[in-house]
Amino acid sequence: MTTFLAAAADSLSDLVASDVRRRCWDRFVAVGLPSTADEVWRYAPLASFSLDRYAPSAKPGPGRASALAESLAARGALVVRLVDGFLEESGELPGVSVGLSESPDSFGGLARDERYAADAFALLNGALAPASVTIDVAPGVTVDGPIVILNRVNSSAAFPRLQVSLGRSASATIVECLEGGTDALVVPVSEYRVGADAELRVVTYQRLEPSAWHVGRTLALLERDARLRQAVVGIGAHYDRSRNDAELFEPGASNELRTTFLGSGEQVHDFRTHQLHLAPHTESTLLAKGAVADYSRSIYTGLIEIEKGAKRTDARQTNRNLLLSPNAHADSVPNLEIRENDVVCAHASSVGPLDEIERWYLESRGVARAEAERLMIGGFYNEMMVALPPQVASLVEADVAAALARVEVVTP
Amino acid sequence: MSLLIEGLRVEVAGKEVLRGFDLAMGPGEVHVIMGPNGSGKSTLAHALAARPGYEVTGGSVSLDGTDLLSLSASERARAGLLLALQQPLEVPGVRPVDLLAAAGAAREGLREAMSGEAARLGLRDELLDRFVNVDLSGGERKRAEVVQIGVLRPRYAMLDEIDSGLDVDALGAVARRLDAATREWGCGVLAITHFRRLLYELTPTMIHVVSAGRVVATGGPELAEVLERDGYEPFRALP
Repeated sequence: MTTFLAAAADSLSDLVASDVRRRCWDRFVAVGLPSTADEVWRYAPLASFSLDRYAPSAKPGPGRASALAESLAARGALVVRLVDGFLEESGELPGVSVGLSESPDSFGGLARDERYAADAFALLNGALAPASVTIDVAPGVTVDGPIVILNRVNSSAAFPRLQVSLGRSASATIVECLEGGTDALVVPVSEYRVGADAELRVVTYQRLEPSAWHVGRTLALLERDARLRQAVVGIGAHYDRSRNDAELFEPGASNELRTTFLGSGEQVHDFRTHQLHLAPHTESTLLAKGAVADYSRSIYTGLIEIEKGAKRTDARQTNRNLLLSPNAHADSVPNLEIRENDVVCAHASSVGPLDEIERWYLESRGVARAEAERLMIGGFYNEMMVALPPQVASLVEADVAAALARVEVVTP
Repeated sequence: MSLLIEGLRVEVAGKEVLRGFDLAMGPGEVHVIMGPNGSGKSTLAHALAARPGYEVTGGSVSLDGTDLLSLSASERARAGLLLALQQPLEVPGVRPVDLLAAAGAAREGLREAMSGEAARLGLRDELLDRFVNVDLSGGERKRAEVVQIGVLRPRYAMLDEIDSGLDVDALGAVARRLDAATREWGCGVLAITHFRRLLYELTPTMIHVVSAGRVVATGGPELAEVLERDGYEPFRALP
């Protein structure tokens, strides 16, 4: 048995066979790590991936939050600090309770090992995560100001687990900053339950160190007339995989997801989305936009699934990819599975360099070429940045702009 | 101090469109280029602004002694030649104020300067905060181009079919703004048009009639009346 597997198995050895961690572990061992022969892992740099480079950690490692993370925290109505998935510190706010949970269940009633039965990394999270960090917003409570989660990785492997639940007619904004993770494996699983007529806004900003391997997954469950506005921004990690699923299982639920990435060096950004419509009069809008520079590549694969009976559903999916170097590459694979006739469903995707004529237009006003390109790339991201909550938008914008300024633009 | 175009030849998609175009103008002057569709008027404007796909194969252009053709598109604008397009392009995500700052306008007081220009042109102020030309009507785009001229104050402003898409009131406002520019900073105006109505409030120094890629007639404001009466047919160049 290899080092990582041996250490992980050892840490679970006291658990009875029926324990959910044990079941997740057994399932992980049975499923095994994916290979690039699996279509959904085709572009992942798995050849250079080895679990043995990492070690599961029983306690949080030492390290400090970045200046950006502290600036975000300073704007939070409530700050929750996680290190390597362990809850370190949490403030207090009326109507909001932050706690730890050892419940075996995923939101929606399924146990973790069943919910994530085919997902090796989510199973690893299910087996090795510290207690789930729970954030519950009581029914009818409107939280002014963002709840900021600083999710920092100091050890060589981290499996953060988060469950956010909004009661009926509650409203809240969560801003999560994921950072650190030098040479680390980072596998977060977050679940959001948005109660009837509640509104949740979530931003996940992934700015891990360039040597990190990040395999994240979020699952949102939306009840009657619930609204979720989710933004996922990824600029860090060597391999950045983000799977974002939403289940709209009661009428009137609506979901807006925006995913954004910036690829440089030899990064791979791998975004997967699933918009699952189970009830009538549900709406989902997905906008996935990103740019790849240098030798980086990106993959966008999204599925809109509309079940029989989900009448009057409106589901849209748009994917735009900007190539900033002739050596960069982007793949876009939108999919639709529709089992109901009375729906509106649309998808669009594009891959290409900056528009030459638009650039000329800016240049012809007196804007130098490099500056024109910066303006256009900034403009490309603008649509994503306007979706950020106003309290933190300028911080994230400035951080992304700084990353953009470091990228070399090579146009044909 | 002048804009000199001599023997300019331009190809588009391998086809010669300008065939030895000549024009000379000085600061504060208003020169109007008129001619039938396909005569090369817009090609002149785009070639001078270095639009990709417009290949200069001969001739010379100098702006106050600088060889314009050796400069990039942005250098030409900085040297003092600014084009207002017939169909201004949308640039999603980019705000006009950032475009103008990047084009060299001072940030300090910039937004106020834009408002002042917009007011003179009857352009609603809130449109200046939309992304460049996005969700603007054809006429609003035209006026937004003239806002750029008013803010950037080029030595020479070229306007390609500025009158198309503008109603009579808007056209009057644009013409008055350009007329004022000739006095305010000695702006030379090179206006390309099909129609005479632009000239009611913008008195031309010279009118040039273009046919088959060359200037075939040049004269004073009275030439516009001749064109109005007789059309372009008497001026058609021999092939």
